[in-house]
Amino acid sequence: MVSIPSGSESFDKLTGGLSPLKTYLLNGNRESGKEELAYRLSAANLKEGRAVVYITVNKGSSELLNDFLAHGLNISQHLGQSFKIIDDFSRTISPESSDNQYTKVVNGPVDLTGLSVAMSSMNNDFVKDGKSVINVLDSLSTLLLYNNTITMFRFLQFVCGRAKTSGVTSLFLLNSDMHANDVTESIKSLMDGVINVKLEDGKRFFTISGSAKEVLSWSPL
Amino acid sequence: MVDPLFGIAKLDGELGGFPTHKSVIFSASPAVGNEAFGYQIVANNEKDNKILIFLNRTSPPAYFKEMEEFHFPVSKNIFVLDAYSNLTGIESSGSANVIVIKNPNDKEEILRTLGAELEKGYTLVLFDSFSLVVDTFGFDYAISIIAMLREKINKSETAAALLFTDWGYGENERAGLMNLTDAEVVIRGIEKRVIFGQYFGVIKCKWLPGKSFTSTLFKVVKPGGIKIAIPKILVTGPTDAGKSSFIHSASKNAVSVDKLGGTIALDHGSVDFKGYLADLFGTPGQERFDPLLKLLGGDSIGVVLVVDCTKPEQFPRAIEMLRKTETFGLPIVIAANKADLPGALSIDDIKNRLHLNNDVPITATVAEDLSRIDPNQPTKLKKSGVDEVLSTLFRLVIEEDLFK
Repeated sequence: MVSIPSGSESFDKLTGGLSPLKTYLLNGNRESGKEELAYRLSAANLKEGRAVVYITVNKGSSELLNDFLAHGLNISQHLGQSFKIIDDFSRTISPESSDNQYTKVVNGPVDLTGLSVAMSSMNNDFVKDGKSVINVLDSLSTLLLYNNTITMFRFLQFVCGRAKTSGVTSLFLLNSDMHANDVTESIKSLMDGVINVKLEDGKRFFTISGSAKEVLSWSPL
Repeated sequence: MVDPLFGIAKLDGELGGFPTHKSVIFSASPAVGNEAFGYQIVANNEKDNKILIFLNRTSPPAYFKEMEEFHFPVSKNIFVLDAYSNLTGIESSGSANVIVIKNPNDKEEILRTLGAELEKGYTLVLFDSFSLVVDTFGFDYAISIIAMLREKINKSETAAALLFTDWGYGENERAGLMNLTDAEVVIRGIEKRVIFGQYFGVIKCKWLPGKSFTSTLFKVVKPGGIKIAIPKILVTGPTDAGKSSFIHSASKNAVSVDKLGGTIALDHGSVDFKGYLADLFGTPGQERFDPLLKLLGGDSIGVVLVVDCTKPEQFPRAIEMLRKTETFGLPIVIAANKADLPGALSIDDIKNRLHLNNDVPITATVAEDLSRIDPNQPTKLKKSGVDEVLSTLFRLVIEEDLFK
């Protein structure tokens, strides 16, 4: 099976890319570069013809698209085609926010049912279209602020199971400095692989475990 | 007050409406959700009943906006106990119809406020969502809420609906909760690689002991709400492979839109087979009609791919048609037609050349009587092959408990 490019040359050189159909945790502190990696991965896969469902919990869809642009990534040609957004943020500040051609607005971090239904439905549409699909959930940390840990585990168990059945590759972002170690470790146990990223002396580094080709010592990203 | 109804014909028919003093829990898979059942019940009763919605899933404005998208009326008879807004910091509506819980994490405040509201003559109470009560405060607290609810509705003309997402809770805890309600309606998806249908069914009703119930496919549409769906089977394949023949042989009332023997729009037939009813929709095979394929493939819950065993050169076209109908992921059965003609490939050869998953079943179909073929009419196929294709396909579809 063709591997999933990360959008980072050094990462792909060392790892050969991510294995498809797996669930990955992208773990790092606030400045580690998780989002940039998630954006680059999304753009690289859109370019290769895959579909991406980006679930944004910390910002609205227009801010997300601006962030892509700010990182030099123009994905406008894929909007509503191969790239769709689940906006799990806007209704927490503006309850009447509504859907558009490429965005499904859901109720916010408390309504995990609404989120899981939206994910199933969007993945469904892409899979029926014969497309290889990637889900990026940015980020679990915000969901953990609003929901207790056990509820989140149940949610993740369901979403990861459903992704596997549907043949979807998933990337879940987690802000490691926001959670107790046991919470982070429990979430890791639900994933096939864990990518750790960090910023040190102005440079970004990563490790990856649970993939076909592991990189267990910090390497430049 | 008029006795409440669910507003879903099948449920109202089976349960005799939504009786007062009763509680009904709608237990849904997280992949399909249940909120539309709540909107439907509220919309169907807002004219004649005073309704209280316990809302902890979203804010009142977002809830009402969703109702408007269904074209459901939002009237002065609808009251909301808002246990959400103060979680997020959104200012709750100042409307007299919205009662705000100051601290949605304070279970005592919720119990107290809810108890006081339930004394105010509501004839219908909706919990959206009850599983969120469980997630936030645990099963013991959720059970105490149901106990209070039962006590209140027993002494007033009130019915209660609870929306519950089944997140894979412990079996005993879940059963303990369900046992406290008078009826349970399950809502599930037919989940394979894709979710290709959703259904609901009553699995328990204490006021109709011994009655058996059936599951029903449904769709949620905006505007409109919950609609009962008729299962649709797509029959596709290249030109002259035998799609029309298959549909005409499988159904008693098939019609074709055709011209000089080739189907130029679609075939349709209704199948009544071993107690299952399904509609067969056939696609035209010619490439110039490909823009129709996606339209015809939409909402199908299973596919019969008809191929001509003597024409392997058409197999890439067969796969292309599957792709264009956007039916990948649905249960598929291959009808290997004309299997008795000279030059017909073996089942194994066909399987290899189609490059489909190994578990996709292939059944040989043949003409009933080769000496009576009229080139301008669909050829009648032997019943045994057609029946085998249908029973294999229905078995694949119903594996997921659909008709249990």
